[in-house]
Amino acid sequence: MITEREFLERARLDRRTLSVWIEEEWLIPARTSDEFAFTDMDLARANLIRDLKDNMGVNHEGLGVVLHLLDQMHALRRALAAALESAHERRPSSEQ
Amino acid sequence: MKDPYETLGVAKKASADEIRSAYRKLAKKLHPDLNPGDKQAEERFKEIAAANDLISDPEKRRRFDAGEIDASGAEKAPPNARYYRDYAAAGGHPYEGQSAYGDFAQGDDLFAELLRRSAEQARRRPGADLHYELPVDFLDAVNGATRTITLPQGGTLDVTIPAGVEDGQTLRLRAKGAPSPGEGPPGDALVQIVVKPHRFFTREGADILLDLPITVKEAALGAEVRTPTTTGNVMLKIPKRSNTGDVLRLRGKGVKARGGAGDERVKLKVMMPTEAEPELDAFLADWKPAGTYDPRKEM
Repeated sequence: MITEREFLERARLDRRTLSVWIEEEWLIPARTSDEFAFTDMDLARANLIRDLKDNMGVNHEGLGVVLHLLDQMHALRRALAAALESAHERRPSSEQ
Repeated sequence: MKDPYETLGVAKKASADEIRSAYRKLAKKLHPDLNPGDKQAEERFKEIAAANDLISDPEKRRRFDAGEIDASGAEKAPPNARYYRDYAAAGGHPYEGQSAYGDFAQGDDLFAELLRRSAEQARRRPGADLHYELPVDFLDAVNGATRTITLPQGGTLDVTIPAGVEDGQTLRLRAKGAPSPGEGPPGDALVQIVVKPHRFFTREGADILLDLPITVKEAALGAEVRTPTTTGNVMLKIPKRSNTGDVLRLRGKGVKARGGAGDERVKLKVMMPTEAEPELDAFLADWKPAGTYDPRKEM
């Protein structure tokens, strides 16, 4: 788990920007009693958001759309991978 | 490393705006997170990022154009940077989206069944294991103790240190790790023990080692001397004519382990007086050993 202070430093963010990103649900960190607790995944996602905003010119409005579509795509890829794996498992028994 | 202008597909005389726009165009196409299935995207993205890094900075660009630095001089991508796609590939995280295939999952065919099963798996995934390091006093490691860790994210963790725990050993506290992202069980807390050194004890397996300084008189005539063990002082019998380096064994005074306890091995160290002792000097000056006393006869 990464503390908020460490996260800000490693993601090169200021506190205000972070709170906007959390409010927009671009980042969904875990919460402990009175503080946020971030994961390595949150950090990778923050880097992606920065790449999209700073290097690719995706604006504030577009970012939510991009992230949403990306997450849909990952879910689909995972579903497809699970389906393929299951199909592989079935194949040997049907050939016997 | 290729020529950065070639990598970005711009002319040597390209303006800063042209470079910026060329980089953006390529970044949008090649960013690893926008190409989760393309293993080469990461390499290509790093190349254009490095190229952009070099020639978007006027000073670096001037030095590169002047031949002062080569194209690889700008490689700045951290070696182990992980992209979002590396995490998103696994399920059971808060960013998971299902609306893209929710309609497929409603049906009763094979695909719907597979989707439901993988969603169920993700929901039951346990939380992550959390790692901690716990410094422990030497004697607590030998005798066992209870310690409380204050966690960085708040809260505390009670750790029972078993007697005889070794430096570097890891204790697993079931269900004390991160909570599950779904409805699975929490992960475990893994506490690595770091044993702090002691002022005079050291440890070798189940044995405790101690260097015990003794006086010339105790060494020559024998004596009973107070000797520290990990559970308090005991009286140790020093035989007559003991020497520096002689090892005496206190049975069972070592670390308690399964199948009995180790020993404490006491290594004697004869100490000459540090202040002037005229009587001792006078005696030794007159002293004629009775036997063949030559400590260097083996040399």
